Amino acid sequence: MYDKTVRRRRAVLVLLVVLSLLLLTAYFGEAPSGRLHGVQRVFLTVVSPIQDGANKALKPVRDMFGWFGDTLHAKSQRDALLKQTNRLRRELVADQAEKGSYRQLLAIYHLDQLSVNAYHPVTATVVGKSPTFWYATVTIDKGEAAGVRLNDPVINAEGLVGKVVQVASDAAQVDLITSPTMGVSARISTSTTTGILQPKLGDPNDLLLQYLPTSAKANPGEYVVTSGTLASGQDSLYPPGIIIGQVTSTNEESAYRSVNVRPIVNLHNLDVVQVLTAGRGTRASKLAGAVAALPPGQTSAPGTAGGEQLASTGAEG
Amino acid sequence: MSSGGISGALIARVAALSVAVVFFQIGVVSEVPVFGVNVDLSPLLVAFAGLLCGSVIGAATGFAVGLLVDLALLQTLGVTSLVFTLIGYWCGRLRELRDPQAALTPLLVGAAASAVSLIGYSLIEFLLGVDAPVSLALLRQIVLGIVVNTIAALPMWAIVRRSLEGALPEDPRRRRRRRAYTTGGLSPLSRP
Repeated sequence: MYDKTVRRRRAVLVLLVVLSLLLLTAYFGEAPSGRLHGVQRVFLTVVSPIQDGANKALKPVRDMFGWFGDTLHAKSQRDALLKQTNRLRRELVADQAEKGSYRQLLAIYHLDQLSVNAYHPVTATVVGKSPTFWYATVTIDKGEAAGVRLNDPVINAEGLVGKVVQVASDAAQVDLITSPTMGVSARISTSTTTGILQPKLGDPNDLLLQYLPTSAKANPGEYVVTSGTLASGQDSLYPPGIIIGQVTSTNEESAYRSVNVRPIVNLHNLDVVQVLTAGRGTRASKLAGAVAALPPGQTSAPGTAGGEQLASTGAEG
Repeated sequence: MSSGGISGALIARVAALSVAVVFFQIGVVSEVPVFGVNVDLSPLLVAFAGLLCGSVIGAATGFAVGLLVDLALLQTLGVTSLVFTLIGYWCGRLRELRDPQAALTPLLVGAAASAVSLIGYSLIEFLLGVDAPVSLALLRQIVLGIVVNTIAALPMWAIVRRSLEGALPEDPRRRRRRRAYTTGGLSPLSRP
């Protein structure tokens, strides 16, 4: 009797471990369009209405916990925002004079058709979030049915949030900019030199803008924005000029300079986001498709303006 | 109907609790950072299911909860299942071999389960080849994760125990009462 119990217990353990390893191996080895990925998408489609309902029902609980955290940080945030407002007011006055001529130039070179305005924003609610720092992902309640497609950029009122990495019919998964799999081609707002912005694993409040030339200048407090070019190895073309974060410090390395960046978006408390969907046939859609189809090495190299030239070429075509 | 002390009622309760906790985790708890990290109730649930129900239920709960988490969050299938299966089995064996009754047991088991979950998960992700710069911040995240999960362990223990009470294969409280009774300490006959 005792032997039977022991045998059964061990058999259950071995069975479950082997099953887990089989799942892991099969999932890791298959393409994103494979069967197990498909099962996940179907599961997401089935549970997304439940998640949506639970999210709405439990929002007061989440808000209550969030209220405590917000209150603790309110005073320091207010002081920082007052300083920022004063600085931005001065900058606004200076920039307004240049704005008119800038718009005219954009229209002349058709670059205005690649900005955020060229996309169709689809507003979505965040219904789920991964608890582990290995998967900085959120689930949203809009999917293929709303026009959301793979690699669409995701923003909110503050700035860049991430990109769509899995799509079901009524839900989608978004990789946040702090996800280890993310890399965004970005530049400092006052400069034209691009670098690759990547997360620092385990530190959700710090991103690293890498591969900037040593001559590039970056002062703490300056904004880092998307460059509108394609980062090497990435499939998403983010519209140029979306704010990502602020420079906190710079690091001197042998051949390149890297810059520490604090994300501007509060990724811990995402509620409503916008997916920038490019309508079929639009210039943004065509350009994203053309650039994604290029073989590796044809996209913008870190620290060069190759991607900028590519974007211009596509705009003119 | 029961087999080896595992009843249908117990399985139903564990399944319902697992689904509720996973959705509560994804929809609410993951959105509320504590000291910059998120409390993860899933390994605590698995550990306490093992501690209360034994190794077989613990391992099965770990596998099912892990699969549910991986499916719902579109993570690599099998990673969480593997880690949680081992946590559930280990906690179940702890009950079967030692049957710890100390008040701090849930706290220690919760901390150990969280540590195994976070470190095991990180190791598997490294083995799968994560292309990201790793710093001391990762170690800080793991330590903070263990601390906040340990804080959440006692309330989670109370919830799991209350939810499964009555359907457990052998209620530890009942067993304690029986032990006390057989040693004569609480015999109703000895009361005035």
